[in-house]
Amino acid sequence: MAAPRFRGGLTQVERSDEELCRGIAEHDADAFEIMVDRHQARAYRLAYSMLGNEADARDVSQDAFIRLCEAAGKFDGRSRFSTWFYRILVNLCIDHQRRNRWWRRLAPLTSPGEDPDDRGYDPPSEEPGPEGDAMLSQSIGKLRPALDKLSPQQRAAVLLQTQEGFTSREIAAVLKCSENTARVHVHRGIMQLRKLLQND
Amino acid sequence: MAAYHPETELVPYLRGGLSAEERSQVERHLEQCSQCRQSMESAGAMLSRIAHAVDEVRAPDWTQYRIELRRKMRAVEAGRVDAAGRWRLAGFGWPSIAMSAAAAAILGIAIMMHHGVGLPAPGVDQLQMPQEMSDADVGLLANYRVVEHLDLLENYDVIEHLDELAPGDRRNHETSS
Repeated sequence: MAAPRFRGGLTQVERSDEELCRGIAEHDADAFEIMVDRHQARAYRLAYSMLGNEADARDVSQDAFIRLCEAAGKFDGRSRFSTWFYRILVNLCIDHQRRNRWWRRLAPLTSPGEDPDDRGYDPPSEEPGPEGDAMLSQSIGKLRPALDKLSPQQRAAVLLQTQEGFTSREIAAVLKCSENTARVHVHRGIMQLRKLLQND
Repeated sequence: MAAYHPETELVPYLRGGLSAEERSQVERHLEQCSQCRQSMESAGAMLSRIAHAVDEVRAPDWTQYRIELRRKMRAVEAGRVDAAGRWRLAGFGWPSIAMSAAAAAILGIAIMMHHGVGLPAPGVDQLQMPQEMSDADVGLLANYRVVEHLDLLENYDVIEHLDELAPGDRRNHETSS
């Protein structure tokens, strides 16, 4: 049951994301403000995790809210609002990275032809990994370059899994792929991160 | 050792995202495969590390963030209004051009009808008919026998006053010529 909240002396039942989205479609400015309040931190954090840059994360997450405002009428309610909204956000992040690819080419992070998504079967390592509780104490800064080396789909899948707690089906809905492909993205992303951080 | 390793199911297994059937399959596999158990532990540790890193992302100044967002919204709205304005102008422009063209065409036709400019040249048959009619008007056919003996170029006066000739005069004229 939705929790009541106090605003301007009146008791209001907290509106669901789906209700707010319908309100936004009908040009309800309050609904938009509440929606931004509710999602701005998560949207910014995901954009930052995807892009690794504060200014870009701010721009892209703001653009996602603008798109939300423009496309609210198209939300049909068949999926969860968060799935729909994060699809907008992730697509904007991926587009942003594509537009800036020329810059990345100047300082390539992966060898030519080494697309992480193109790799074949990667069996589990026989050797014990360096991961464990000790990993948590390692510098967070080291994770950023490793995340940057993942493909955009892998990065999005791993971040949606860890940050948003999305299921494979929801990740698949955001990335517009099959559930199996979404699981493969998560698995390969994590394997890749393990390899890259092995020597840390 | 099992030939199949349910690698892609390990994270969903950890996160509780598998169906009951898939979950029991993975559990059975994990009981006999130390390699996958180790892989799952590594994946779990990595997920925790990422979650921890993500939690440490420094939040921006939200007031500034919202000011920027509102500014962008206004710019988008203004852009939409501009675009709509341009579209209305464009919509206004097309009928104007069409109406001007139609008016010019009507004016042109009116001028041509008045001055006969540009009308197509009549065909041969059309030229013959008025000529025959003018022949009948001057009575040349009725006095064909007189006309037949005239040099038309030299005796134009005679032809012009042919009706004034009396029948007797015609006969005299016939005999004299």
